[in-house]
Amino acid sequence: MQPQPTGGEPHPKPATPFLEVRNIEKHFGGVRALKGVSFSIEAGNIYHLMGENGCGKSTLIKIISGAQGADAGELLIDGKTVTGLTPVAALAAGIETVYQDFSLLPNLSVAENIGLTQQLVSSSGKLARRLDIPKMRATAERALAAVGLPASRAFLSTRTDELPMATRQLIAIARAIASDARLVIMDEPTTALTKHEVDNLIGVVDRLRAKGVAVLFVTHKLDECKSLGGRAIIMRDGQKVAECDVEGHSKTDLAFWMTGKVLDDTRQRSAVTLGEKLLNVEKLSRSGFFADVSLSLRKGEIIGITGLLDSGRNELALALAGVSPADGGSIFLEGNEIRLGKPADAIASGIGYVPEDRLSEGLFLSQSIKDNIVVPVLDRLRNAFGIVDRRRSRALAERTVDDLQVVSAGVDKPVQSLSGGNQQRVLIGRWLTIEPKLLILHGPTVGVDVGSKDTIYRIIQRLAGDGMGVIIISDDLPELLQNSDRIMVMRKGRVVKTFAAEGLAEDVLSRALTDDTIARLQ
Amino acid sequence: MTETTFSSAAPRSESAGAVAGIWAWLMRHPPAFTLILIVAVSLVVGAINTDFWQVSNLFDILRASVVRGLFALGVLVVLASGGIDVSFTAIAAFVMYAVTMLVVNVVPDMPIVAILALGAVGGACFGGLNGVLVHALKAPSLIVTIGTQYVIRSFLLTFVGTALFMNVPAAMDAFGKLALFTHHSANGSTSTLPAFVLILAVASFVTWWILERTLIGRAVYAVGGNAGVAERLGYNLRTVRIFVFAYAGLLAGIAGIIHVSSNRLANPFDLAGAELEIIAAVVLGGARITGGSGSVIGTLLGVVLITLVSNVLILVGIPSTWQLVIVGIFIILAGAIFSIRGRQS
Repeated sequence: MQPQPTGGEPHPKPATPFLEVRNIEKHFGGVRALKGVSFSIEAGNIYHLMGENGCGKSTLIKIISGAQGADAGELLIDGKTVTGLTPVAALAAGIETVYQDFSLLPNLSVAENIGLTQQLVSSSGKLARRLDIPKMRATAERALAAVGLPASRAFLSTRTDELPMATRQLIAIARAIASDARLVIMDEPTTALTKHEVDNLIGVVDRLRAKGVAVLFVTHKLDECKSLGGRAIIMRDGQKVAECDVEGHSKTDLAFWMTGKVLDDTRQRSAVTLGEKLLNVEKLSRSGFFADVSLSLRKGEIIGITGLLDSGRNELALALAGVSPADGGSIFLEGNEIRLGKPADAIASGIGYVPEDRLSEGLFLSQSIKDNIVVPVLDRLRNAFGIVDRRRSRALAERTVDDLQVVSAGVDKPVQSLSGGNQQRVLIGRWLTIEPKLLILHGPTVGVDVGSKDTIYRIIQRLAGDGMGVIIISDDLPELLQNSDRIMVMRKGRVVKTFAAEGLAEDVLSRALTDDTIARLQ
Repeated sequence: MTETTFSSAAPRSESAGAVAGIWAWLMRHPPAFTLILIVAVSLVVGAINTDFWQVSNLFDILRASVVRGLFALGVLVVLASGGIDVSFTAIAAFVMYAVTMLVVNVVPDMPIVAILALGAVGGACFGGLNGVLVHALKAPSLIVTIGTQYVIRSFLLTFVGTALFMNVPAAMDAFGKLALFTHHSANGSTSTLPAFVLILAVASFVTWWILERTLIGRAVYAVGGNAGVAERLGYNLRTVRIFVFAYAGLLAGIAGIIHVSSNRLANPFDLAGAELEIIAAVVLGGARITGGSGSVIGTLLGVVLITLVSNVLILVGIPSTWQLVIVGIFIILAGAIFSIRGRQS
């Protein structure tokens, strides 16, 4: 269905590259974030800027898009050196960025989000200008058509915070290509998308290339890099460590350059003997979100639950965690019926829940690693006077940090000083302190880089091996295939299919969860 | 229609149909709530005391809405950009007193247009200062404007004067008396609609035009929606911040001149403490205190509601000390309704 682009050049090679970056350096305080990075970008090609979190790739794109200045080095556009690049100047030169958070203005309409930037650029950033509403609307209609979204009046005037994630992403891309883009930078574009939506995105990228627009993906997802093709620019620790055509190099090679370690994506789950029945969910429903969900889980078993964003998987996870309670059906844990009306009920029953968005739902970012870990068990740690015993809580925190291989400069450091993968491990560690019988992991590796993913998978497997029941809710299909015993697929609020994960092919699974997502938008 | 097309496709009960539809529409159009409250208050008060429907009473409400309305439009623009301003009453007091003093002592025959322009420029300068401070210090605008409010007010009383001006300049006196429309009622009394309501009308139109039809207006909402994103997209935060505070100051300066003209008295102690009432009016009109929303029409309705409550409850025998209870209840009601709205979207 999708034409698969290859690493070759579909366009004749232009004499000078569109963009050239020479020996860029950037310091933050005493830290050298970029240590002399050089590469060039030619029209109509696809590039992948790859590397683990903290390797400097985000800083690099901020410099290219004018959001930050470099300390040393040169930036050339069409062979001419540019200095003091501002966001508006970068846009005027045709460098458009689709940020990871999409950078949409939540309170403005679709038409405004797409069309205002162009007006800002044509006024060179000056704001004392009349708004050209017909032009804004025309721009938006054209750009929406290019990404396959409807351009009805009702849609144009919808606020963007009322739209689903995948649609927001397409709007962010529509904005990027609304004016004469020559380079579109996509920062981690597929983090929030399901497979089907990713396929649609790939289609959009193909159309851009056909028009001679260069596309630079900033990513650490190897699968997508492989399926898109193009050139990989791999960074580690502020330096470019490799540049090569994606074609002809295996995922293992790319991962090795990114991490300096040999990683493999084979199945982590090995045959285990399952214990007695742990959890039994019968006809669980929450009206408007999911209905008649039944599942059973034995000790030591890992179940994966997946589905599109609106399939009800997220709400099911929240119901099992007591965050947004179900309104029908029953839940039995070790044979006893339990009621989960609030998160404290789940904790008291021995259910640990690691939320999807660790930044807003999970961690107290400015507080120490120690305080983040011991928070569910403060009751147990108090001494005779009802005051938290500092020595015992420190010991517990240090034990947990060791156990989960959190890389930190001590448990008193704030959680925000850690990388994404280490933050996630702190969050998992927190729930291990309650010694849960059942651990629910919601998107356990969202925004976590390859190396950390591997560690987190090993931890999950070890916990299951110790007899814990684990439910993983995720849209990362390889993750579920690698880790679980069974995979349940949800669609429109119902479980439509349950697979045995062993030997299951990814495309079979992905077909089961996609339906007509994009058709629905039209 | 957008709702059903783009939100979750999960099963939803259709039973609540029409009611839910009306509710959803109201959630998207918060000024409609304000209008409903205005109509409800009018009907209740008018049913108890038919004097409410007298032309003179309606003129009084309009007259009392002008100064509040000008302040509120300024607050709207600042709130929409994600800031808050509590210094506008101090700016108005300073400008009205200093300008009156200047005109009386130096140029007694200055025309009213020049006096208004002077007030506007003076107010805009103070407001611009707020904007510069908020941007340069990266401080919360509430804190900065509490500070400038104190400084401006204290400076006025210490260095400019504390004595009341009873004899305001002739041009201001005439402006305050100038009638747009005079009504002779059946019992022989006359009431007038002052011409300065036109200034509120013009200011409302200009504010609407700036917010909805210019790039800076959209930038105000963009910054109020998410300042970090707006900056990344190339909106100049400094320009936006200085603009919104200067604009609020400009309207406050004009409001101060009208206040003096209407009362024929320049009192440097006037207007103190009216800030919260004005902010409440804007929030009652549907603007979120957290920024990024609000409309001119909603703001005007909010002002009318607040003025209505403080002017007419006396007609139904509610003592003036009780009026604030009603205002307070309305504000809590509005807060609760808009918080539901926030959670749903």
